[in-house]
Parts: sequence; C-alpha cells; structure tokens
Amino acid sequence: MRILRYIGRRFLFIGPQLFGIILVSFLLVKLIPGDPAVMMLGPFATEQQIAMLNTEMGLDGTIIDQFGIYLQNLVQGDLGTSWQTTKPVFDDLAIRFPATLELITLSLLLALLIGIPLGVAAAYFKRSIVKKFSDYYGLLAGSLPDFWLGLILIYLFYTVMQVAPPPLGRIDFAVLPPAPVTNFLIIDSLIAGNWQALWSTLGHLVLPVVTLAVINAGPILKMTQATMERMLESDLIRYAEMCGLPKQVVIRKAFRNSLPSIVTIVSVLYGFLIGGAVLVEIVFSWGGAGQYAVQGVLNADINPVLGFVLFSAILSLVIYLVVDLIYFAIDPRIRG
Amino acid sequence: MAAVETTVAPQAGAPGVTMLDIAGLNVSYPVYEEESVRAVSDLDLSVRSGEIVGLVGESGSGKTTLARAVMGLLTQPGRIDSGSIQFDGKDMRALSENQLRAIRGRDIAMVIPNPRSELDPLVPVGKQIAAVARAHLDIGRAEADRMALDMLKAVHIPDPTRRFRAFPHELSGGMAQRVVMAISLVCSPKFVISDDATSGLDVTVQAQVLDLLRTLVREHDTSMLFITRDVGITAHFCDRVAVIYRGEIVEFAKTTDFFENPQHPYSVMLLAAFAHNPTLRNKWHKPLASTEAEAGRACLYAPRCVHREDECDERHPDLRELGTRHLVRCHFPVERVA
Repeated sequence: MRILRYIGRRFLFIGPQLFGIILVSFLLVKLIPGDPAVMMLGPFATEQQIAMLNTEMGLDGTIIDQFGIYLQNLVQGDLGTSWQTTKPVFDDLAIRFPATLELITLSLLLALLIGIPLGVAAAYFKRSIVKKFSDYYGLLAGSLPDFWLGLILIYLFYTVMQVAPPPLGRIDFAVLPPAPVTNFLIIDSLIAGNWQALWSTLGHLVLPVVTLAVINAGPILKMTQATMERMLESDLIRYAEMCGLPKQVVIRKAFRNSLPSIVTIVSVLYGFLIGGAVLVEIVFSWGGAGQYAVQGVLNADINPVLGFVLFSAILSLVIYLVVDLIYFAIDPRIRG
Repeated sequence: MAAVETTVAPQAGAPGVTMLDIAGLNVSYPVYEEESVRAVSDLDLSVRSGEIVGLVGESGSGKTTLARAVMGLLTQPGRIDSGSIQFDGKDMRALSENQLRAIRGRDIAMVIPNPRSELDPLVPVGKQIAAVARAHLDIGRAEADRMALDMLKAVHIPDPTRRFRAFPHELSGGMAQRVVMAISLVCSPKFVISDDATSGLDVTVQAQVLDLLRTLVREHDTSMLFITRDVGITAHFCDRVAVIYRGEIVEFAKTTDFFENPQHPYSVMLLAAFAHNPTLRNKWHKPLASTEAEAGRACLYAPRCVHREDECDERHPDLRELGTRHLVRCHFPVERVA
C-alpha cells in the first residue's frame, strides 16, 4: 500500500518536472546562435524568402509565443519536424532511442559482469593480484576515451583480424531487417523469428558494447570495491564473523549491504550514457539518439534537440523511479 | 593437545574445570615507523566452567582487544606477540581459521554493545538467529526457525512470532539487545563474552537485560567473561572481578573480597567514582606522561596514583597473591581502614 502511494506521489511530480525541463531546454536551445531558415534555404536565399519561411515555421513571434506554439503541438504529440531528415521528430526518435537503449543497456549489463566480481574480489583479497589488477583497471578505464578504444577495437577485430562486421550501423546492409515493432532490433528479430537478422544484429553489437562496457566497468568496479571494503570493516560484518558464519555467507551479507550504492552508480551511468555514448555511436555509425541530437545542435535544427531532451528527461525520470523501487525492494528501512 | 591436558583433565560441564585460561598474553598494535602500542601486556586470566568473571576497566584499557584476541579476531593491524589462550582444552592460537570459525558463535559467543549497528539491517531478526544456528548445528531451515523462535521466547521478547519477522530498525534498543543475546545463546555455547553489552541502554532496561542474561547463563551452566566499564554492575553479577588498567590486570579477586577489601589504589578510585564519594574522587590524578612507565620499568599506574612512592617509579610491580586468591599488582596495597 505504502509503495502505491509512493509511486502515485512520484507520478504527480512528473508533469511539473517535465514542464520545467522543457522550458529550460527551450530557452537554452534558443540561445544557440544560428538561424534555421538561413541553413535550410542555403546561401542564395533572399531576405524575403527567409522571412516567409520564418513566419511559416512560427519563428517570427516572441520567444514566449514560440514556446506557446511548441507546447500546443507537444500536447497533441507533435514534436515538430526535423528539417534535416524532413521527417517528424517523433518518428525519428522512435527509431533512434531504441538503438541507443539497446546499445547502452547491453553495455551496462556487461560492465556489471566485469565490474562487480572484480570489485568484490579486490575488496576481499586485499593483498592479491586481483586487487592490483583492479587498481590499474580503474585508473585505465577512467583515463581512456571511449571512442579511442572503439577505434582500436575496430582496427584490431575488423581491419586486421577481420572477425567483426564493419562498423557501419546496427545490421548488415545485405540482411533484411525485421518488421519494426519495438525498434529494438534484437526483440524485433525474435518476434519475427528472423534468425539471420538476429545474428547480424548481435554481431554488430559486439564491438560497441565491449567498448562502452570496458570503459564504464571502471566506475562500477571502483564503487563496488570502495563500498565492499567499507562494509567488510563494518560492525555488521565483524559481528557476523564473531558469530562464526561461513565465509560465503559473510561476503554475501557485505555485498547485499553494498548493493544500494552499486544501484545508484548504475542508474547515474545509465542516465549519462543516453547522451554520453554519442562518440561511440559516431565511431560505429550507430544512428543513435545522441548522434541525432548533436547533428541537430550543429545545424540549428531545434526540434530534434528538444525532442531528444524531452525523451531523455522522461527516460531519466523512469530510471530514477525504477531505482527507487529497487531501493524499496532491497532495503527494509525505506519500506518501514 | 598433550601439553594442554597436563593442567586439568577437561571434563565438559564439571564445575571448577578451567574453561578459559589466558596466560602471559601480549597484544600490540604496530604503529608505522614508531614503537608499537601495547594494548594487553602479560595478562593472566582464567575462567572456570559455570563461573562469571567480571573484567572492569576504563576505555582504552584493553578490554575489547582482549575479547577479540580470545575470538581470534583482532582488528588490523593488531597481533598477539606472545602468550597462550587455552579454551576448553584447545590451544586457540594453534587453530586454523576454519577451526576458529567453527568455535565462534558455537562454543564461544559474543554479546556486543551496539546491536542496532551490528545486526544486519536487511534481514529479519528471527532469520539472523536461525542463520547462526544453521551455521553451527546440523539442522534444516524449519528446525533453525523453530529454534530461533524459541530463543526469542527465552529472552522474553513480547509477541515473538511477530518480532521474528521484524527488522532491527523496528526494535527498541533493549529489544535489539535481547535479540543479540538470543543469537549468542542459540547454540548453547560453553562460554559467553559480554563486551560492554548494556552500555547503550537505560538503567532500568539495563537491569532487566542483565538479570535475564545472568539467568540464562546460569541455566545453561555457561561460563562468562563479563566486560564492563561499570564496576557497580559486577558487584551483583559476577563471581570474581578483575580490574584491568592499561592492558594489565591490577587486581583480581572474588567479588565479595574485592568489594569488601579492595587493595589496588586504582580499584579504590574506581569504586569511589561509582560511590559518588567526592573526597576520594578529588584525589584522582590526571594522567601524566611518565617516561619511566613507558619504558616498562615503573608501575603503569604510578603517574595517577595517590600513594606513589619512589619505588613505584623504579620497579614494575608483579601481580602477587595477598589474601586467599586475591591478586594485586601494587607495591603498597591499600589497607582497609575500619
């Protein structure tokens, strides 16, 4: 019951939160110099043509008028049109967001598989080689740029060894993509039973996922290690040892009590990677959401940028809600 | 093992048999690039089966270090330099980590002072009791749960079936302390170390919890080392009392002897402090730095002692027997003035 009330209260706040985010990002995007009409019409446009296009796009009014128009359209589910792709922003994002989410979700899962066991081992075996390795790994992962690692992996596995598919998008050009349902290619391939597409999708995912996972396992490893070290020294674990509980039980107890910090760092990374994976997306020509937004910013294409901000905001709110629910599940003190 | 049995042939449960025997124990904490800190020095202490021995001392006197040394769980970087710890005929220092783990919680149980930070916040208390039972006894989940529930009843927790599922933060301090007692007693240990167990509780709750602890310990014929800062508690609670000062036992006697005829100046001061006797208490000296004492030649208590003589600075007193089994570490023991 408590939890339902809690979720209800959270949903109440989503509206105002989103409004605030839209308002701020709208104003900020408007501050970027650049006239979309000039960009669209090219260098030979007359003043008259530019003025006409501005009126047509509703860009001649005050900034408040423009915001009003944007909100009106937004309420009807219209995020405007991107003049670069000439398609509605909503349709563009419906393809690109799943592309990014597929990439970063798998990357974070792999990063967890690397970071958590290493972090736990490094915290428990304080004078071992694992601890040394973890220290260097954390340092290296924190200092390497992800796109650079991506390029190295492409060079090694595509150019030299030729085992990876070319870094050009999410699926081979020669393979017929599955019918779009969710736009997550893995899920769609499974729905369609299209094994060839599934195989190709997974193949294309390997290198970018490894790239992002190797880099982002760094902070997960560090957080796991630091929290576990603190836990293993805590009164709680000392008492467990005094009670003569078996080693595995003690480690599990320490890990369970470290879990909230690990969940926190993963949620922060997830929110960050929606836009933060953009360089890796560019390296692998992924066609993801971050790439779409950056192109929008560079070309004074406002609608994609605002659409991206809105989607990311909603997604972040969802992530934080999920995280709170996880806290709820794993910590009785919050429930109580 | 052969060396052990030379003292007393161990007969489990038989009264008078030495359960814990600590001899010449030295524990120190190495300090980087400096001389290591001696936390327990040359300490002898024995507890017979079925006996409750009180260990009184101010904070920093080495009480907890001693308890942890017995459990084989000294905090880093502490280490045992020399001495022996015999428990129930076993040389604790010779045992492997796995053997020690089998003894902890099973044969020697610890009652700790801050139950709410030491119990697992994520696990219902009943399950925590059951987990200890399952770790040591060859029983199934259902049987362990039943034992845990029985223990909750035994420590007089109201509404035990409901409290079984409660989390530590949902319990009061006194109730959490009872849970810790339930955990320590669930495997019917031979020996309980209570480390300042009631210091966090209100005086009234403290009395209840202590009464209960003593009753349970007596019922199971368990021996106990009762570590406390409150010399007053030991009067009602213990068979014998040891006073520890800066890692040394300075007085060790039967409780009645100790309270009727305290002989070490420090013991007298401790008793005065608890008796709220201002005349005596005002004689209490502030600790002074004493290089002689640091060098190990002088009496460690000399810098604070009201009866200090020249000899105290020159020669470290040995623990000597003055009355019947009344041990005192002082050159000039206090005479009781009638």
